[in-house]
Amino acid sequence: MTVPTLETRGLTKRFGGLTAVDDLSLSLPGGQLHAIIGPNGAGKTTFFNLISGLLAATSGEVYFRGRNITGLSAHEISRLGIKRTLQVKSVFARQTVAENLWITYEGSKRFLHPFRDAAADTAARERVDRTLEQIGLTAIARRQAGTLSYGDVALLEIGMALISDPQLLLLDEPTCGMSPAETERAVVRIREMARTIDIVIIEHDMPVVFDIADAITVMAQGAILASGNAKEIAADERVREAYLGRPEDEDYVEEAADA
Amino acid sequence: MSRRTAIERVVFGLFAAFMLSVPWSVPAVVSNFWVSIITEILIWSLFAASVNLLFGYVGLLSFGQALYFGFGMYGVGIGIDLLHLGFWPVFALGIVAAMAMALVSGIFAVRLTWHYFAIITVVFSLIFYFLAVRLKPLTGGDDGINFSMPPTFSIGGHEFSFTDATFQYFFILVTVALCFYLMHKVIRSPLGKAFLAIRDNDVRASLIGINVYLVRLTAFVMAGFLAGVAGALFAFFGRYASATYMFYQVSGEGVVWAIVGGAGTLFGPIIGTTLFIIIREVVSTHWEHHSLIVGVVAILVVILAPNGVVGVWRDLLDRVEERETKPAPAQQEQTRAAAP
Repeated sequence: MTVPTLETRGLTKRFGGLTAVDDLSLSLPGGQLHAIIGPNGAGKTTFFNLISGLLAATSGEVYFRGRNITGLSAHEISRLGIKRTLQVKSVFARQTVAENLWITYEGSKRFLHPFRDAAADTAARERVDRTLEQIGLTAIARRQAGTLSYGDVALLEIGMALISDPQLLLLDEPTCGMSPAETERAVVRIREMARTIDIVIIEHDMPVVFDIADAITVMAQGAILASGNAKEIAADERVREAYLGRPEDEDYVEEAADA
Repeated sequence: MSRRTAIERVVFGLFAAFMLSVPWSVPAVVSNFWVSIITEILIWSLFAASVNLLFGYVGLLSFGQALYFGFGMYGVGIGIDLLHLGFWPVFALGIVAAMAMALVSGIFAVRLTWHYFAIITVVFSLIFYFLAVRLKPLTGGDDGINFSMPPTFSIGGHEFSFTDATFQYFFILVTVALCFYLMHKVIRSPLGKAFLAIRDNDVRASLIGINVYLVRLTAFVMAGFLAGVAGALFAFFGRYASATYMFYQVSGEGVVWAIVGGAGTLFGPIIGTTLFIIIREVVSTHWEHHSLIVGVVAILVVILAPNGVVGVWRDLLDRVEERETKPAPAQQEQTRAAAP
């Protein structure tokens, strides 16, 4: 049996009396696009924070390709090749698009030279130029990231994920807040990336999830409710009850019908 | 070369030419007194640069940089007065003492950000301020240590020393210029880019693999170096070291100078420091409440020009550049004006 890309054993995170992630044991084989879905407050983002080192687990362990990475700090985990995006789009607002990519490329290096001219690094510059072309932002490479439209920021985020050569990419609601056209473009990019990179994605947009995910894990109240492929999940009674068939969603359907 | 770079180069050239001519041009136009004011401005600019390195480039607002300035001063003062060392050893002692102190307090301080960071830097500087005031045998307390300057170096039997006002000026000018050049190099380096990434978004910076804690600590020690050099130079310049310069009010002045001049710009601290020291010197001879003017100017600049004086200057240059790259509307206007 091959070593899973990502494995958690009894992963638990408590905030005071609240158990956000509850004894979560999960094993994700490589070569898949894995989606995690679940209602708000199910602990999905906390789960990502535990894996990427932004939060320390109360108990339990995280393994990346068989290596125990529990307790490592965020930059150490990032340097192992686990990269992630944040739910709220998050780039370096006062830097240009190209500078955002540049620092993401250089960031993983152990030694940051204090005196050499950053602009003199031709390898990095070429890589930045290539990534700009890949995400189609060459024309606005010198614009400040803080002045970009939402869709362009999302593309930049994808560019930053690409240029960092991830082994495992954690995407936290990548299409959140996007227009349908932007979502479509983002989905295409994510599919492309999934051919070479293991991806775990948190997503609320159900059509997107059922469209791109090879495997789906449903979380509720910090624990795994169900897992399987799209068909199995859609047919699962408990999932419907806990998630798809929630009254909120019915409201949403009614609202949509009214509109 | 764009018009913008041309303008910037001309301004810098004029500035450099003026700085090199100060020992002759300033006494000719005003008086010798202003040469020493300009020397003081140079030293305090370096101090403001240390605030700026942390606040403008790494996003850490330190209200305790006077501590490292004070350590630079006392390294020199104690080195000469108690240890009887020569010029270069005491210079090195002052700088190393400041950096060591910055390392020790930085280990604790850079774990925190924003107001927590500001508070802990103030606390550190207060602790050592009161220690310095108490340890009278070592520091001279409030009176400080007065000493006479050892010679800097001698070439072929000719001794160069700070007693020669022109030599003193140029030594300080060259040292300050070197420090600013170093800072310029750092800002453009990969490390400097990591500073900016952390300033903009520290969580994201850690997620792309930057060791935020270590980079902040490095910046903190570098800022300690700048403040230490400034303190050592000020001790040489005044021939004394005193605990009063470790008080947090001095730190606060550095913050105001850096922000008014333009935080996050290389030359901002020089402009801010120049502005306020000139106000102080001109007004304080006529009116004892000159700090009122300082306060009003600081508030006005922060409200009207959040990026400081250098920010205003850059906006002006941006407009020049815009006019250059978009000549069409201007031409249209001309033709319209020419039409009967």
